[in-house]
Amino acid sequence: MRIVVAYTRRMLKILRSEVLVLPSRVAVLVFVIAILALPLVTQDYYILRIMILTSIFAILAASWDLLSGFTGQMNFGHALFFGVSAYVTALLNLNLGFPPYFSIPLGAMGAVLTGLIVGIPCLRLKGSYLALTTLAFPIILMGIVFAIPGITGGELGLSGLTKLTGSRVNDYYVTSILMLVLGGIMWKITDSNTGIILHAIREDEVAARAAGINTTRYKLLAFCLSGFFAGIAGGLYAHFMRLAGPSTLEIGLSFQVIIWSVFGGMVSIYGPIAGVYILNPFMEVLRVILDNFPSLPEMRMFIFAALVLLTLRFMPEGLIPWLRDKVETECPRCKVRNVAFRRSCRICNAAMT
Amino acid sequence: MAQSFLEVKNLRKEFGGLTATNDVSFSMGRNEIIGLIGPNGAGKTTLLRLIAGILKPTSGSISFKGKNITGSKAWDIVNMGVASTFQNMRPFRRLPIVANVMVSCLSPRSMRGGEWVKKVEAKAMDALEFAGISDVALEKASTLSQGDLKRLEVARAVATDPELLILDEPFGGLSPAETDLMAKSVARLHRGGRFGRLHSEGPAMIIIEHKLQQLMKIVDRIIVLNFGTILADGAPDVVVNDPKVIEAYLGDGGTSCS
Ligand SMILES: Nc1ncnc2c1ncn2[C@@H]1O[C@H](COP(=O)(O)OP(=O)(O)OP(=O)(O)O)[C@@H](O)[C@H]1O
Ligand SMILES: [Mg+2]
Repeated sequence: MRIVVAYTRRMLKILRSEVLVLPSRVAVLVFVIAILALPLVTQDYYILRIMILTSIFAILAASWDLLSGFTGQMNFGHALFFGVSAYVTALLNLNLGFPPYFSIPLGAMGAVLTGLIVGIPCLRLKGSYLALTTLAFPIILMGIVFAIPGITGGELGLSGLTKLTGSRVNDYYVTSILMLVLGGIMWKITDSNTGIILHAIREDEVAARAAGINTTRYKLLAFCLSGFFAGIAGGLYAHFMRLAGPSTLEIGLSFQVIIWSVFGGMVSIYGPIAGVYILNPFMEVLRVILDNFPSLPEMRMFIFAALVLLTLRFMPEGLIPWLRDKVETECPRCKVRNVAFRRSCRICNAAMT
Repeated sequence: MAQSFLEVKNLRKEFGGLTATNDVSFSMGRNEIIGLIGPNGAGKTTLLRLIAGILKPTSGSISFKGKNITGSKAWDIVNMGVASTFQNMRPFRRLPIVANVMVSCLSPRSMRGGEWVKKVEAKAMDALEFAGISDVALEKASTLSQGDLKRLEVARAVATDPELLILDEPFGGLSPAETDLMAKSVARLHRGGRFGRLHSEGPAMIIIEHKLQQLMKIVDRIIVLNFGTILADGAPDVVVNDPKVIEAYLGDGGTSCS
């Protein structure tokens, strides 16, 4: 009992000294609590479905940021990893009867392998060449999927997978907690020494080589890591939808990933996650509203595009970094972030200008 | 035959029709500091990039400590102990200065020294201290002045623990006072020793420079390059009084030569 009290006290102290001092940390805390508490508020089938898909896509967007945002390897065909894993997961589940907790990690390993296969030809490519090449891969795979319908199910895809879990609330907790954990891991990777090397490769690859860094190895690592996390998302999607179809490879999905990330704020991991959590439910709400006005077709995409364009016009860094700069300022001396209204830095006491 | 430390043989690099280095051959010993001079466009930077593995030669060979490194990967060459700087400074602009140097500290060569150097941030700070820009360690590289960028280049190269250090115009953009300071740091580095976590083995050096006066004070040998060929190679006072060298410089538009 005493241990529990001591522990709680320690946690509260950390909470007060480390978390409550910065709005961004409070925001993360509120986000986590909100995610975990949602089923206590509503167990609406439809709302949970939207939030499950949102958490899956959040993993996908964050994994894109790891590769394209941090390492600078612009991937315009990120759906490839998602789709490969969805199909591998489905095949393993349907043909060999693997349960989700085996089929999804193995599907992700399939995506890692894909990361290697795609990464090697992409090593020497930059800019638009890299963009076009990455764009081509999912299209090629889509061609293969249609060419061997006996295995892939062709246009209809593979359906009838085992349910992810027994109930929708459990589905929700599995995908949402995985999103939080994997998002945390990705953020930790980018915050480590490896993250610094990835940054350096994006900034200037030749200079990184001249600093003794094997850029080939790190770029492949980025492709594989990104593939792994995107693959987990793909596997979760297949089991949740109980379907792996050509739509998991579509260009539309690849572009959606980029739009979410750019809107939320690239090179941050939390930006793309926030981008998905804002835009994906918003799109659903918009659809429900617009369904009441059948005379206004196609307004949804228009509103969506306008919103994204406006964001980029006024917050080129993305929404979250923009918000963050509004509520927090960097100490001119020690570069630690502070609440915007502070007069002196919470760490070094330097005057905040 | 004693193997030499660095051996460059008939090194040739052609860019389309232009021959930037034309069968350059020279060798250097472990403890030398060589000044590499020559008019603009003589091929000095090209020679550096060939040795550093950033460019691949059209023909010819380079060997370092008896190993053929012609066409090796740039990072392998760095990890063998050859570090170089960029004349036109290539910092990682959106990273803080200290993170710029941490990249070098994360190279396998820099990490080979056990726990002591595994504190990469502390080691990077020592390299910045050595280069004289530790006070701006947390600023973004994009905010640095030209002179400080030069020093960042040097800090990044030094942080890989080189045995051969090739500097491309380390005094460029520095004021006379700063140039003196930099020249002193370079001479001190060559003597070797410990600078905090940075352990210098006293690297051999090739210094490309146009500021001959300061260069003459620290080098023990000068190689003059003109139109991609070696015009003269020898002790500093002999070389700068060589009529061929004076002519090359005068022909270039009258750059004075000492
Ligand atoms: N990547 C390249 N492509 C084509 N030509 C090049 C390239 N790099 C250098 N050159 C040419 O090769 C020649 C030698 O250039 P280099 O940069 O080696 O000269 P330098 O001696 O370093 O001159 P400076 O003193 O101006 O730095 C020049 O004529 C230059 O235009
Ligand atoms: Mg040059």
